Amino acid sequence: MQNSDVITHDVIVVGAGLAGTWAAMTAAENGVKDVAVLSKIHPLRSHSGAAQGGIAAVLNNVRPVAGTGPRGPLEQIPPGDDPVDSFDLHMFDTIKGSDWLGDQDAIEIMVKDAPDVVIQYEHMGCVFSRTKDGRINQRRFGGHSAPRANFSADRTGHVLLHTIHEQALFHNVHFYAEWYVMDLIIEENIVRGVVAINVLTGDIKMLRAKAVMFGTGGYGQAYKVTSNAYANTGDGVALAYNAGAPLMDMEFVQFHPTGLYRHGFLMTEACRGEGGYLINKLGERFMEKYAPDKMELAPRDLVSRSEQIEINEGRGVMEDGQGIFLDMRHLGREKILERLPEVRDLAIAFAHVDPIEEPVPIQPTAHYSMGGIPTTVDGEVLANANGDLITGFYAAGEVSCVSVHGANRLGTNSLLEASVFGRRAGRAIAEFIKGGAKLHPVPGDPAEKNRKMVQQLFDNDGSELVEDIVQDLKMTMTNKVGIFRDEEGLKSALDDIHKLQERFKNIRVMDKSKRFNTNLSMTLEASHLLTFSELIAAGALNRQESRGAHSRTDFPKRDDENWLKHTMAHKDEDGRPKFSYKDVTLYWDRFPPQERKY
Amino acid sequence: MSNNDTQRTVTVRIQRFNPDVDKKPHMQDYQVKMWPGMTILDALHEIKTHQDGSVTYRRSCRHGICGSCAMHINGRNTLACKTPIINEVKKNNTVTIGPLPYLPVIKDMVVDRTSFWEQYLRVKPWLIPPDDIPEREFRMSQEEVDALHDAEACIMCGACYSSCAVIGLNKKYLGPHALLKAFLRVLDPRDTAPGERLEIVSQADGVARCHTIFNCIDACPKGLNPTQAIETLRKLAQKRQKYEEAKAERQKHLNEPIPS
Repeated sequence: MQNSDVITHDVIVVGAGLAGTWAAMTAAENGVKDVAVLSKIHPLRSHSGAAQGGIAAVLNNVRPVAGTGPRGPLEQIPPGDDPVDSFDLHMFDTIKGSDWLGDQDAIEIMVKDAPDVVIQYEHMGCVFSRTKDGRINQRRFGGHSAPRANFSADRTGHVLLHTIHEQALFHNVHFYAEWYVMDLIIEENIVRGVVAINVLTGDIKMLRAKAVMFGTGGYGQAYKVTSNAYANTGDGVALAYNAGAPLMDMEFVQFHPTGLYRHGFLMTEACRGEGGYLINKLGERFMEKYAPDKMELAPRDLVSRSEQIEINEGRGVMEDGQGIFLDMRHLGREKILERLPEVRDLAIAFAHVDPIEEPVPIQPTAHYSMGGIPTTVDGEVLANANGDLITGFYAAGEVSCVSVHGANRLGTNSLLEASVFGRRAGRAIAEFIKGGAKLHPVPGDPAEKNRKMVQQLFDNDGSELVEDIVQDLKMTMTNKVGIFRDEEGLKSALDDIHKLQERFKNIRVMDKSKRFNTNLSMTLEASHLLTFSELIAAGALNRQESRGAHSRTDFPKRDDENWLKHTMAHKDEDGRPKFSYKDVTLYWDRFPPQERKY
Repeated sequence: MSNNDTQRTVTVRIQRFNPDVDKKPHMQDYQVKMWPGMTILDALHEIKTHQDGSVTYRRSCRHGICGSCAMHINGRNTLACKTPIINEVKKNNTVTIGPLPYLPVIKDMVVDRTSFWEQYLRVKPWLIPPDDIPEREFRMSQEEVDALHDAEACIMCGACYSSCAVIGLNKKYLGPHALLKAFLRVLDPRDTAPGERLEIVSQADGVARCHTIFNCIDACPKGLNPTQAIETLRKLAQKRQKYEEAKAERQKHLNEPIPS
């Protein structure tokens, strides 16, 4: 294809959150001159910035005060004293959190790279909270058996995102802000580039590259109540799937226990890490029943299920009984102001409740996508369950599935995963480019094909509003593919989704202008929601067991004999998903499967 | 307030402008039924998705951390996502929404922030660290961290920038957001270029341009105080050499524990 309209770069990164920006910055730092990042929103608006509580790493800066128990105060570890935390412990916590579905080789790499990546952030200027002697401060987090959440008050993601963006600018990474990628071109298992729309002008262009990296984030917008930004519409997973890449473990969607009631965005887990309680209508700390040891700091899947049981059995709070109280009053004014200022501000602004004075109403909220594009530990995308690669295609962060989180992610492991594997992908890309990677030809004219597709959307003029379809999808996903699932509900959900896909053919795009047409991008996003939601529901229907965040009331037990394996979804010739399975990497001698109790 | 009151229908008056088809901006009214807790952003979403898909604005996180949705609401700059509509419709049952002032309009509430990001780049927002990088973290006290709070918590939404009367007259002015970023680096004990940074902010379009009208403080949806940071930079610039020496002295101890 010879077209002056075509843009060419050595490396194109899609998504400017932590994973994408780390990859771009690291590739540039390692000598790749021509690195471009495309993001549908300005890079600093990326959802990594919304992460609050911390980034996990074994730094051994703090420990519980001796004799005060698992919820007692923390103190800095004096020089020379024994460490309380270890790589093995962080690995074990992550593996147990994942309900043994996480690949243990990938988990080991993440855990061992963690201290270095956190220290690199610090050296790049990230402003962390500090211990008395000036080290990075650490707090407790759910499912972690030592205080290893390195934090900056309750805006950790925000400071990490700004820091890494600044570094990428320093290394001359070129950013295309507000370019929406609408197509990924893979031919013969070799990546060729992407097609993107310049949102400002409406121009659709082919962008060729030797390597394409996806760091496009998660897919929480498929659910009614979600912590996720409007932007988190799973574009990356849908584009990869449509281009022929497989998707792994899509049925695992994490519900976070403390979304602000009705709004869904987070009251960070650090609220509980700092000592907050969960209370039902009867004033009970109900986690006593479900996780007597870890209590409120059990992993998220377990706490969310516990809340949902309390709600379903009539012990929820608020008018509709759909809430739970998060009580932080006993932490005291000083601690709340120092450690949880953003959370307090949000509770006051949106719930008209000051956590210093009153408990905050919360509810479980769709939060994190464990599934995604399967990759090696260096971000290379797998072509199939055999481990073949798609040449030149990389992914990291929430869009990917390495898999370190398995069936359930621990808090603070996501900022870590995005950083560690974004950086590793950046290094691998640099090697790939410097090793003589070629620009492969683009067959046909994908940009023109996409222009015609957009014109067809404009001309369609059907009777359906996109938003009505999206809202119906969110109801289906929440009610039938949510915290608790069963065969009847999942079958009915698939039926709903197929009908919604049909209805989508009859949509009407209201805005047909070229300039900054967000009505068009929202329409394309909706088509992505409909694509991957089918895979979540179908994967969940197939998986006849309960593991981590996937909880089947008709199959309440984990079934290692039949289901200790990753789900792989491929698009077959007639556009329907086809499933295969891939072994989990386990260190049988070190971390064999156990019963998961907290 | 009664349930009835929170669920009434209100008028959202939006400034519309698409330079491709409109000669000049005009106002357009939409009717929205409120629900309890509805924000201005929720109302815009309702309008865009059900009434008029061409109404255009930026948004993402919905809770005041991404900085996308700063706009002009009832005559002041703020984030649409953090503004409850019920507080804004007291007069004539109507809320008036438009783009951030002083910036070229791309479409409706979407403004061209080119000058905003250019000024951000001018102050070199990245840390310039010491040559001698330790294996572990640099040591900083919590007090040193606290001193950076306002600069570190800034979300770059532009509400301050487009409320600044100086920006209205002179796009070459660095502006409160970029000066806040400069303040972050000048005060950070790890940054080795305070002299160069103070030189940049002391140039003609730097701190001297601030008229201390405090619009930026009123506009900031995060409750930050750029004016104070600008004042601090102004004072440090006056005793630049002394400050550079003090900082160099501090940097000799970056690898040592903070004394208790």
